Amino acid sequence: MADLRLDKIGKTYGVYTAVEDLNLTFEAGKLTALLGPSGCGKTTLLRMIAGLEVPTHGRLFLGDEEITDLKAEVRNFGMVFQSFALFPHMSVAENIAYSLRIAGRSRRDCEARAAELLRLVQLEGLGGRRIGALSGGQRQRVAIARALAQEPRIFLLDEPMSALDAQLRGDMQMELRRLQQRLGITTIVVTHDQKEAMTMADRIVVMSRGRVEQVGSPQDIYHRPANAFVAAFIGTANLLPGLLHQDQIQVGADRFQVSPEMRISDRSEVTLFCRPEALNLYREAPPSNGLAAEVTFLRDLGPSIEVHLTSAQGDITVEVSGRTDLDLQLGDRLYVEFPREAIRVLPRDAEEKAA
Amino acid sequence: MTVEASSLAPNGFRRLASRGLILALVLFLSVAPFLLVIAVSLGQKIEGGAWDWGLTFENYQRFFVGGDWPESWSPLHLQQLWYSLFYAIAASLLAVVTAFPFTWAMTQLSRRTQALWLIFFLTSLSLSEVFVAMGWDVLLSNRSGLPMLLREGGITQWLKEVGWFQTFRDWGLANPRDLRFKPTSFATILTMTYLVWPYAVILLYPALSRVDRSMLEAAATMGAKPTAVMLSIVLPLVRLSLIGTTLLLFVFLLGAYVVVAVFAEPAKQTLSIAIYETIHGLTLNAPFGAAQAILLLVAATLLLIIGTRLSRARRVGEG
Repeated sequence: MADLRLDKIGKTYGVYTAVEDLNLTFEAGKLTALLGPSGCGKTTLLRMIAGLEVPTHGRLFLGDEEITDLKAEVRNFGMVFQSFALFPHMSVAENIAYSLRIAGRSRRDCEARAAELLRLVQLEGLGGRRIGALSGGQRQRVAIARALAQEPRIFLLDEPMSALDAQLRGDMQMELRRLQQRLGITTIVVTHDQKEAMTMADRIVVMSRGRVEQVGSPQDIYHRPANAFVAAFIGTANLLPGLLHQDQIQVGADRFQVSPEMRISDRSEVTLFCRPEALNLYREAPPSNGLAAEVTFLRDLGPSIEVHLTSAQGDITVEVSGRTDLDLQLGDRLYVEFPREAIRVLPRDAEEKAA
Repeated sequence: MTVEASSLAPNGFRRLASRGLILALVLFLSVAPFLLVIAVSLGQKIEGGAWDWGLTFENYQRFFVGGDWPESWSPLHLQQLWYSLFYAIAASLLAVVTAFPFTWAMTQLSRRTQALWLIFFLTSLSLSEVFVAMGWDVLLSNRSGLPMLLREGGITQWLKEVGWFQTFRDWGLANPRDLRFKPTSFATILTMTYLVWPYAVILLYPALSRVDRSMLEAAATMGAKPTAVMLSIVLPLVRLSLIGTTLLLFVFLLGAYVVVAVFAEPAKQTLSIAIYETIHGLTLNAPFGAAQAILLLVAATLLLIIGTRLSRARRVGEG
């Protein structure tokens, strides 16, 4: 198996840029999630990889082989579509064996491979069913089996969970991940759901407006976001605009001690970032890094409580353990502590400053 | 759950009344005339006069064996039935086969362009059969139409030189000196095809535009080339629509009159022309005309049943 490498791949539609000169490498055997809001170009990128869309410029390599001009039908990349795109005029087994039939393999080969894949996706014995008689989850399994039947070089999935209900989605995410690890197949999943990306992926590519914002492991992306967009898109983020001054950030009238940030020049505009679960709540003002705030909403999730507060510097969300001995009430005046080591300082790029 | 009888009764009555009205309309507008035609077909022609009610199958017998039976047997009427079916089947098939690739290509265009094309075809439906026949009459006429253009353009001469002219002669599309398209079965079928072509596009369009593009892309990612995608995905998906459209055009063309009158050779006229001749022509034989009409209907029904059977033929996993 070989890495899939994108070299300055871009796609424009007239004046509109869907994907902007991307350089990316998808490691062999790993699952990479393309994550971003709708319209960020992730699906266009996946379709270019599949060969369904022709890049306006740039080149695609699979190992040493250039595949930029290879048509989808000779690329041998298996793809699961958002709508599953199963063929309603064929049985489940015929759907799964379609690639083999097209390749001219014998009926016996087709049947054997279909049975094998049905076992793989835990649908033994359903080969004779009509597509119309399947549930959403079963359809998805058939779509996955069908895409894998040709033993594809790369396995692509376009929003594979969006047609499933929430309960099933979580189960299928784990199952798909286990399947991928068992087969060791290079996989790219497009999703707008950060939980889905974090559940399944070895590596996440966060995209927005046709550009890559950050590439990293789920932990990297969550705890060390490269910028405010990534911080806000992945999970809940507390973001306060401020001015960096040596090891302090001035946010309005409040000051926060931070670890010195080498990458960012002194006296520049920055964003203070902190995850809700890293913040602490106190009745009394802490010695430093405290911010006075008032409780506006309580969301009791059982294992944890999400506390929404309003402060002079903006709204804050804090997640405290469900076993907290703070007796929280709406309207409580509290202090939010931003622990020095939990704060990350994010640069503010030109666009954000303008906005 | 209980429903109050008083609230149900007026509603039920109204529904019953509206059903009764629909039934009465169907009876009056459709069933009664049909029964009347059957009754007339059992009547007798009075020599030198009108006709009288009766209960004879002579008219039906005449259709199959001719008027002089048992002295001589004439397949004239059967022949007319054959040409009715032949023209209609050939033209409806030709229309669907040629309209399909066009409509498929049309569904690949932008929504707006598709709408413009559809409006264009809907508008063209306002051209009556008479109008279309007149247009093609001029286009194919020997003196001023296509044969003249081909002659003056030197194509006819060229065909003669390369020896293909003889092929046209063999097909009955040329006289010894010139190409000749009229009257021929070729011109009849061509004009009939033209006549129903817009219907073919409009009838095929819904099914073709509903074919999910991602299915075609899925097939491509599984190694299917465009021809394979067409044969294994598109055609099976729209098979019902193709058969349905062909049947509808066939029924429509069975009744074609002007096109046949203008373009068909005298020996190859259809039943619809013959029926008109029987009833309004010299003989004024309404009972025999009615019998002809009913036999045309029976033949069409049989073909429709066969067609429907065809569309229900085995297909695994159709949903």
